[in-house]
Amino acid sequence: MYMPDFEYHTPETLTEACALLDELGEKATVLAGGTDVLHKMKVGKLAPGHLVSLKNLDDLRTISHEPGRGIVMGALTSHNAIYTSRLLQERYLSLPMAAHTMASNQICNMGTVGGNIVNGVPSADLPPILIALNASIRLVSSNGERTMPLEDFFHGSAETVINQGEILADITIPDQPATGSTYIKFGLRRSGALAVVGVAVSVTMDGDTLQDARVVLASAAPTVMRARGAEDFLRGKKISDELLAEAGDRASAESRPRDSIRGSAEYRRNLVGVLTKRALRKAIDEGHA
Amino acid sequence: MSDNHKVIGRSVPRIDGPEKVTGAAKYTGDLKFPNMLYGKILTSPHAHARIISIDTSEAEKLPGVKAVITHKDVPELKYGLSPARWDENIFCIDKVRFVGDKVAAVACVDEETCYRALKLIKVEYEVLPAVLDFRHAMDEGQPLVHEEYERNINTEIHQEFGDVDKALAEAHHVRTDVFVGQRTYQAPIEPHSAISMWEGEKLTIYSSTQSPHYFQYYIAREFGMPMGDVRIIKPYLGGGFGGKLEPTGLEFAGAVLAKRTGRPVRTFYDRAEMFAHNRGRHAQYMEITTGVDKDGKILAAKANFMMDGGAYTSLGIASAYYAGALLPMTYEFDNYQFDMFRVYTNLPACGAQRGHGAPQPKYAFESHLDNVAADLGIDPMDIRIRNARRPDTVTPNDFRVNSCMMRECLEQVREMSGWDEKKKNLPHGRGIGVATGSFVTGAGYPIYRTDLPHAAAFIKVHEDGTAATLYTGSVDIGQGSDTILCQMAAEAMGYRYEQMKIVAADTEITPLDFGAYASRQTYMSGAAVKQAGEEIKKQLLDMASTMLSLPADDLECEEGVIFSKSREGKSLTFEEVARKHFVLKGPLLGRGAYTPPKLGGSFKGAAVGTSPAYSFGAQVGEVSIDEETGEITVVGIWDVHDCGKVINPRLLHGQVHGALYMGMGESVWEEVLFDDKGRIRNAELANYRLLTAVDMPPIQSEVVNSYEPTGPWGVKEVGEGATNPTLGMFSNAIFDAMGVRVNSLPLTYEKVWRALKEKREKEETIAA
Repeated sequence: MYMPDFEYHTPETLTEACALLDELGEKATVLAGGTDVLHKMKVGKLAPGHLVSLKNLDDLRTISHEPGRGIVMGALTSHNAIYTSRLLQERYLSLPMAAHTMASNQICNMGTVGGNIVNGVPSADLPPILIALNASIRLVSSNGERTMPLEDFFHGSAETVINQGEILADITIPDQPATGSTYIKFGLRRSGALAVVGVAVSVTMDGDTLQDARVVLASAAPTVMRARGAEDFLRGKKISDELLAEAGDRASAESRPRDSIRGSAEYRRNLVGVLTKRALRKAIDEGHA
Repeated sequence: MSDNHKVIGRSVPRIDGPEKVTGAAKYTGDLKFPNMLYGKILTSPHAHARIISIDTSEAEKLPGVKAVITHKDVPELKYGLSPARWDENIFCIDKVRFVGDKVAAVACVDEETCYRALKLIKVEYEVLPAVLDFRHAMDEGQPLVHEEYERNINTEIHQEFGDVDKALAEAHHVRTDVFVGQRTYQAPIEPHSAISMWEGEKLTIYSSTQSPHYFQYYIAREFGMPMGDVRIIKPYLGGGFGGKLEPTGLEFAGAVLAKRTGRPVRTFYDRAEMFAHNRGRHAQYMEITTGVDKDGKILAAKANFMMDGGAYTSLGIASAYYAGALLPMTYEFDNYQFDMFRVYTNLPACGAQRGHGAPQPKYAFESHLDNVAADLGIDPMDIRIRNARRPDTVTPNDFRVNSCMMRECLEQVREMSGWDEKKKNLPHGRGIGVATGSFVTGAGYPIYRTDLPHAAAFIKVHEDGTAATLYTGSVDIGQGSDTILCQMAAEAMGYRYEQMKIVAADTEITPLDFGAYASRQTYMSGAAVKQAGEEIKKQLLDMASTMLSLPADDLECEEGVIFSKSREGKSLTFEEVARKHFVLKGPLLGRGAYTPPKLGGSFKGAAVGTSPAYSFGAQVGEVSIDEETGEITVVGIWDVHDCGKVINPRLLHGQVHGALYMGMGESVWEEVLFDDKGRIRNAELANYRLLTAVDMPPIQSEVVNSYEPTGPWGVKEVGEGATNPTLGMFSNAIFDAMGVRVNSLPLTYEKVWRALKEKREKEETIAA
């Protein structure tokens, strides 16, 4: 494994980091936990002249509830910090559980929620559940900042709308009426497995009527995607096993998976249907789990 | 068997336990020497290409580069592991034969400079068409991997014992099935590494090897040196499983680089390079036919196999023979035919992986036997018990079996797993399967032809008797041989385990031993150790006889105390007698050596599979299948092994768990995948799916009370035998759960899902 040469920068503030990115331009790559960037460098997929490490930006490591806004999570929050957050466990246990099952303990200690988002791959485990929970993100640059729904951030395989010079600062999960949410990941072993398919859902129940639902798919298209057809179908309906199965079929039909080392497109489409049905049932029965 | 042993038969702590768990243990890659350089090998990016030119001039100019070598700088003599087919060069001369074939090497002041230097070596290739599908390697018009091997045939075997056609013609039921096995890789946790250095004409190599002796032999041969001038030292080693048995190229390249630079050179493979060097399990195509009588008694079996050898022979000739040789072990039948082609392809070479050639054929045969049982309406357990091999029998291919408790293993695992109850009551989607296995207790013949003993040992009692050091060439690769050999030495001497020290696997200090392969050390190294210990004890008792004025045959020594068998109160300590011996007679030493008897028949290939003793075992596994996704949950596994006397129960069950773990991976999860250019797609541990701790099911491992009359204290094999049944056991459990058979390994979730889907579609068509 050969690591190409690079210069290493450790800005002390977000402002300083943004200024550095402006100065260095295209040669610079932002380094958070490094679990994706360093791997790409080692296998020769990335050779940045400069790495701008965010490790000193401790402000971006906090999780807090801001009244009127929701839960705000710094982009540098590690997967294990999400897993162990009392606040998240109490409000949306589905998110800590998704963080916990995504990788080995070492990776969960280093990897960050921001990195998991910005890396942009369709198999990432946190974006689906965050999108299901209607999360938004804040991107900061020297020219100011912009906020957008997380689902608008991705627009192709490993492609996102982030601009050169922008840093993902934090993620906000708004206070919401959703009564349940979950993420089911289908991996080929019980630990350290990438998702063959992952399905995150959130549901808002009124008695046994589904007022609203979100269905978000991982590894089922070039980018993380919402199964809007399935969501529209579910909205306002009384739940039954047949209904959830039909929603699964619709999500399956909407998905656009490809053949890969982990499974054929046909198998993945089947998994989307099965997991969607199961995830909906779980969120309806168990709340945020 | 009465058991009055004091040291063996107990789960004493591992002798290397504290070093390993505290991280103090030094593996080859941890060692540093003054002035040490780092070496890396440049490998081929093409599966098959002619080398037009190699230009090293730019690399040589790079600061920090101390040497660059190609085929021009090393001996041209071909090497390998199987002497009948030495077909590898240290560096490729005319052409490269797989992605990863060795082309050049550099020695530099640090690792980083190595990578820079490798990039500066310019190799011009003419890319040739490649043979990537072994099923078509023998076809007309295929390119030749080695020009001298027509139709890419590396090894061809045609054996017949008894009269197969006649027996099949007379059989009540004849069935043929075809199965396909995949390529897997050993994936030891420790990467291969070697540190080479010269003092004058003497070469010393620290190496992560399973056999210092074979390394010494092959390195001396390659460089035309006397073996006495080559010293191989094995530091702590982190797993081999057959993948570290042979020269890797690291030691040849390292030795030449060290000679050139006059400095120690450390060469090593990273994870991807380990996969490229490979020597893992062959992919195999296996057609099996058997004829049985109406009760399911096997009358004849026919095995028609083909295996993907990759670009070189490695230990593959033996793998090819083993594939057929061990098939008639667990069940008795007289008529047997075995045909095999091992072919060359432009893929990494395959070799000996835990269980060697046996696990995949066993998968095929055990799956096939369940199909036969289903055809006849016989319980899978019953058909196996009906055919189980008995002790003191000879296989059709002339292997003599002494101890054998195959039937007892099956009966015990039936009981332990609750087989009969489960067979009746398991709900839909749950299944239970059984399979058997057997393995050699050491190979009857060495890898290269020699009449040297297979194992030897010395024991030195320290001058004051407070410690004894065992010197053995045997190799602890993690399985615990250092521990059990010290137990055996202490037992034979009448000493205490806690006072034993060990020096192992250093060709200059320790006596000859062929090393850790073919599950040989407990039996063969143990035989030599026992003899050495007994020689110590005899000398001690003679000295004590003088000191106590009692006849030596009235004396016994146990756990460090020498006492009279007939008179109370007459005793001496081991220490005082040993010290007296040293004062009066000089060093107290014991010596031992082991050579197996002449074994096997006289037909071509009769030697492969011979062994002084064979282990037997039976496994039952229960699985639960998620019918919507094909996901397999392993509910439990029960293993019963006939492995002779157990020296250390904890380590023995550790071997069973480890063998099962590897067998499980091969059954459902692991496969080395290639793209259409012959490049490995998953030469890393994210997509080459080794199982993790949380994937392991509850395992109940037990042994039958067996005794092998030829072995020291009655021991036999355990380390590889428990891999052999596992693949077939999974196949049968999944078959039981779903009612359909997946005919190729690995039995992935997707294949299971597809098989279920096809079954459903078929049933719907019939219903319509």
